Amino acid sequence: MTEPARHGVGRPLLLPSAADLAAPLPSESDVVIVGGGLAGCAVAYYLAKSGVEVAVVERGELNREASGTNAGSFHFQIAIHQLSGASTSEDRARLLLDARLHAAAAEHWYELEDELGCDLGVHQTGGLMLAETPEQAQVLRDKQVIEHEAGLETELLSAAELRAGAPYLAEDLAGATYCDREGHANPLLAAPAFAARAIEAGAVVRTHAGVESVHHLKDAGGAARFAVRTSAGTIRAARLVNAAGAWAAELAAMSGLALPVRSEGLHVNVTEPREHVLTPMLQHIGRRLTLKQAANGTFIIGGGWPARPEAPPARYSVRWDSAAGNAAVALRVMPMLADVRVTHMWTGVMTFVDDLTPIIGEFERLPGYFMCLATTGFTLGPLVARSLAEAMTGKGPVALPAAYAPERVPSLSGSHPG
Amino acid sequence: MSSRTQSCAVLVVGGGPAGLSAAATAAAHGLSTLLVDERPSLGGQIHRQPGPGFRVTDARRLGRDYRRGLELVEEAARAGAGLRTQTGVVALRSSHAVCFEEPAAGGGGGSGEIFEVKAEQVVLAPGAHDRPVAFPGWTLPGVLTAGGAQALLKASRVVPGNRVAFAGSGPLALAFPAQLRHYGVNVVLALEAGPGPGLRQVASLVAAGHGNESLLADGLRYRVQLARWHVPLRYRRIVVRAEGDGRVEAVVHAAVDSSWNPVPGSEETLAVDTLCVGYGFVPSNELFRLAGCAQRYDEDLGGPIVEVDEWQRTSVPGVLAAGDGTGVRGAPVAVDQGVLAGLGAAAALGAVSPSTAEGLAAPARRRLAAKERFRKALLSMYAVGPGVYRLTTPGTVICRCEEVTRRHLDEALASTADLNVVKSYTRAGMGLCQGRNCQRQIAALVAERAGGAGAGGDGGDGRTGRAGGIAAVEPTTARPPVRPVPLGAIADDSIRDEGLFVRD
Ligand SMILES: Cc1cc2nc3c(=O)[nH]c(=O)nc-3n(C[C@H](O)[C@H](O)[C@H](O)COP(=O)(O)OP(=O)(O)OC[C@H]3O[C@@H](n4cnc5c(N)ncnc54)[C@H](O)[C@@H]3O)c2cc1C
Ligand SMILES: Cc1cc2nc3c(=O)[nH]c(=O)nc-3n(C[C@H](O)[C@H](O)[C@H](O)COP(=O)(O)OP(=O)(O)OC[C@H]3O[C@@H](n4cnc5c(N)ncnc54)[C@H](O)[C@@H]3O)c2cc1C
Repeated sequence: MTEPARHGVGRPLLLPSAADLAAPLPSESDVVIVGGGLAGCAVAYYLAKSGVEVAVVERGELNREASGTNAGSFHFQIAIHQLSGASTSEDRARLLLDARLHAAAAEHWYELEDELGCDLGVHQTGGLMLAETPEQAQVLRDKQVIEHEAGLETELLSAAELRAGAPYLAEDLAGATYCDREGHANPLLAAPAFAARAIEAGAVVRTHAGVESVHHLKDAGGAARFAVRTSAGTIRAARLVNAAGAWAAELAAMSGLALPVRSEGLHVNVTEPREHVLTPMLQHIGRRLTLKQAANGTFIIGGGWPARPEAPPARYSVRWDSAAGNAAVALRVMPMLADVRVTHMWTGVMTFVDDLTPIIGEFERLPGYFMCLATTGFTLGPLVARSLAEAMTGKGPVALPAAYAPERVPSLSGSHPG
Repeated sequence: MSSRTQSCAVLVVGGGPAGLSAAATAAAHGLSTLLVDERPSLGGQIHRQPGPGFRVTDARRLGRDYRRGLELVEEAARAGAGLRTQTGVVALRSSHAVCFEEPAAGGGGGSGEIFEVKAEQVVLAPGAHDRPVAFPGWTLPGVLTAGGAQALLKASRVVPGNRVAFAGSGPLALAFPAQLRHYGVNVVLALEAGPGPGLRQVASLVAAGHGNESLLADGLRYRVQLARWHVPLRYRRIVVRAEGDGRVEAVVHAAVDSSWNPVPGSEETLAVDTLCVGYGFVPSNELFRLAGCAQRYDEDLGGPIVEVDEWQRTSVPGVLAAGDGTGVRGAPVAVDQGVLAGLGAAAALGAVSPSTAEGLAAPARRRLAAKERFRKALLSMYAVGPGVYRLTTPGTVICRCEEVTRRHLDEALASTADLNVVKSYTRAGMGLCQGRNCQRQIAALVAERAGGAGAGGDGGDGRTGRAGGIAAVEPTTARPPVRPVPLGAIADDSIRDEGLFVRD
């Protein structure tokens, strides 16, 4: 067995210090960011790097919600949850935009370890989107046309080609598409690394500071437009970035704003380490599955099986049925894993934007109030955070696409499947 | 819900003295009762029956612990309880349990089977495991825990090593080397971290002794046996490190103060090929945590212990607890708590009237009260000292599954005091043992930073759980599976994934 690479061994972690995270909250800041997940920490980093005065407030510990509980995959291929089944031209335009954004996000991720000067466990492994039936193989062909148009190169594999190239999979699969840009990183390390570098660049990052209310200061005279009351004191700011993930709608509601989002608890299984057999990440075009072998040899198996909501502060609990259904799909495509033992299960809460398109930018109705929220926010987080920071500092080459505007809303409806 | 579901009135988890007596009691009241134990044989820690493949030819030679176990097993079977070994509960939600039956050893049984049990009442009697203590060299081959060595002896009849040192503390610290010696092991040194019995302690033990005569006698018997076998027994000393190239070759031990902090200059080295470590036991509390049962902290009872009422009911309706899992108090207490839990479950299901149950419970309650007096008297002798959690150096591996050193943990601890976050930054606790061996040690490191209170707090605060110390450190989130389970056993094809967002 190849010695599993264990992160951190002999390599210092890039983490913010406990003293910094507990420092008193300043009474004022140009920008206040609510949420210490990947989105919030990355926006803080890009803003601080451009010299903007910024403070992050996080109600718990950093990176404990979606950003630290996801499977860490960069999926760029159009996936099951993105296909509405409606295949309208609107739909097609959205998929095109999405595919382009994901292609750009890939480029960004592969430069991130250099940018932050630390190990984030980034691996470009390539990824297979599998089809089990001829109908699903047709869906692959259709989605590939859109990907091609968007500049995301994917390769179509016949059943025979798949068998030859991936002999560890079930023999009777109907085919696959392969995208060599796909890969993964360590979700446990990315947001804390952004936070540490943001602090170095002058940002304040404060944990255990939950936002309780947001007051709008109309005629305050000064630059401050928001008074944000947290459990660790009140901070006034000219601009507010809502990076509260699954609680973004709750936070927006404090300012009378509505967001077209829903949250779902999702299930993940992880196994004991085994000898390395699986390089590409696996997804299924017709069933809920993501499956990959991490650098330390463990298999991480997810794909959107539900977890059971619990009243806070309890975390969403595991539904055994989700473990059982998820395991069945995994074994359907990779039967050789039958004797590999699951050692852990966990859950995380994911935000789904109703039209599956990120919400990035400023509310016209409430100037100074910015959103940073994406459905596949691990993949997109660093890139959209940079784009937002560039837009906020007026330096960016990127004007944010109108499709991401917080107020595109009226046309949004429940176009998601299920 | 899956097709693999069965139901019963009472499910008992754990086939030690507590579980066996609970099952016998519930079944004797006419309740359909199923007992499951993940090990290949019943009896639990001390009454463990020999494993499959061993046939008992002379029960007398196996000793009274074995015979008592056999009695308990036969009593439960006679009462009509179903008894299943190699079947562990891996997930639990109120009184619904997910069980994993391991494949029969050697016999091509595939990945094993998952089945769900919907019980009306569940009695959790998972027992305890060795209190993990990390020190330089503790991961060397040849270093064993007392429980591990005992399992080897009882289930597989394997005798460890040729020159064995024992280091530990607590009422069993004498029992254990005596037992090893009984099985023919060459014990060259026995260390007890606590003080030798002074006149005052002996007096208070004797005063509390009524109803505890056999425990007193046991203590005396072990001491006499060790003396007769010329096993040197030294008080107030602990092993500070184990040394060796690829395997333990020597132990370095030192005198300790009353908080178990080593006294500089008192080190001695002894050549050995095996070191058994037994600093007492800690309740296996993962099922209680999964079920959401209220707990309190008492280091002398093993740390986090589940709260129970006079019928052994936990804070979660339908979930009862008995035995070492509720605080480590020994086998006789486990049996009596099992009786109370069995009666409690029977009363809850209307199988026995409250007044009858009260009458049946009276003898067990009397014995338990006497044992509790004795235990409190013992405490003054065997209180766990916080120094035991301070033996590591930066290079010491603390999470052996993921090979995480204290140096690496210190980096994470410089950023957070939250065990979940430490786990995510370092992977400590993510391995096969699921944190059973490292989380207490890491909690002690957190407590140490938070105010130097250390394990128990030198003032004893953390020990009794009033404030500070390990007691104040929140454990990581409890998650299934409680034990590793093969994907092939978990997978259920009947659960389909139509619709992306299913809700209960
Ligand atoms: C199981 C699972 C698997 C996933 N897999 C993938 C994947 O493979 N690839 C991918 O790209 N994406 C994946 N995702 C999605 C991705 O994880 C998220 O989109 C992304 O992490 C969102 O980051 P965020 O910073 O917006 O939210 P979060 O990380 O949730 O951070 C929001 C933070 O805001 C804080 N907060 C909320 N309210 C307040 C308040 N009032 N005051 C102060 N703080 C507050 C929260 O405590 C939280 O820390 C997955 C998600 C889950 C749950
Ligand atoms: C070395 C040693 C010496 C001892 N000597 C003495 C002594 O001399 N006198 C004395 O009074 N006591 C002694 N004890 C203590 C005594 O063994 C315990 O107090 C007693 O066994 C507790 O009984 P129990 O039923 O609570 O737990 P246990 O006997 O530990 O039984 C618990 C059972 O639960 C099972 N289990 C745990 N989790 C699960 C799960 N998830 N699913 C299914 N099954 C599960 C385990 O396999 C185990 O068989 C000794 C203990 C040890 C380790």
